[in-house]
Amino acid sequence: MDGEVVRIVTPFPLTDEQREHIQTRMAKFLGGNLLSFQEEIDESLIGGVVLFVRDIIIDCSIRTQLERIRESIMKGE
Amino acid sequence: MIRIDRSIIFQIINFVALVFLLFRFLFKPVVKALDQRSQFIRGELQKIEDEKKKLEEMRRSLEEETAKLKEKYLEVLDQAKIEASKVKEEIIREAYEEGEKIKNEYRRKARKEVEELMGNLREEIVELTEEVVKKFLATQITPEIQTRLIDTFLEEALKELEAQVGMIDGR
Repeated sequence: MDGEVVRIVTPFPLTDEQREHIQTRMAKFLGGNLLSFQEEIDESLIGGVVLFVRDIIIDCSIRTQLERIRESIMKGE
Repeated sequence: MIRIDRSIIFQIINFVALVFLLFRFLFKPVVKALDQRSQFIRGELQKIEDEKKKLEEMRRSLEEETAKLKEKYLEVLDQAKIEASKVKEEIIREAYEEGEKIKNEYRRKARKEVEELMGNLREEIVELTEEVVKKFLATQITPEIQTRLIDTFLEEALKELEAQVGMIDGR
């Protein structure tokens, strides 16, 4: 496949609307390069999405948000 | 004419002779012996008086020594009381310091244990809460919510990344 490969991990399959939105936003971020998606399912994410592109990880999952909250509480912040 | 009986004359002579003899051989030695005895008694009385003076002197000296000893005893007693008081204060101070040290050590240990317990408790509560929240959220995430989550989180993450890249590139 040509262009940038973006690995998308979600807790359940993407809808067309969601896929299109991600494609549009990522294309803008990556400077209009052609994108191809590699989709994976990970239920432990609970909600949100995790994207892997080049050497960047964009973690927008509920699981990670909860982990950050837990770390913050454990540090007493 | 007075007739004098010869026997009377003889008796008178005898009497005078007896008096003379008595005076010569009895009275003088007796008087001498009495004088000697009197002198002896006076000497003894003098000795007794001297001894009495000596004893009086000794008694006075003894009283002075006793007074000095008593004074010294009181002085030593006072000193001993002061020393005992110092020792007592020192013992009390050391005991107090030791007590404070032990108390602080126990406090420190207790605080540490409480902190550890609180830490463990907090960890357990947070883990339990996280599990509950995860399970709850897993039942609440609908496709619509997932779409909104993607929109919101992705937008925020990309804006943050763009800002970082912009700062690096000088854009």
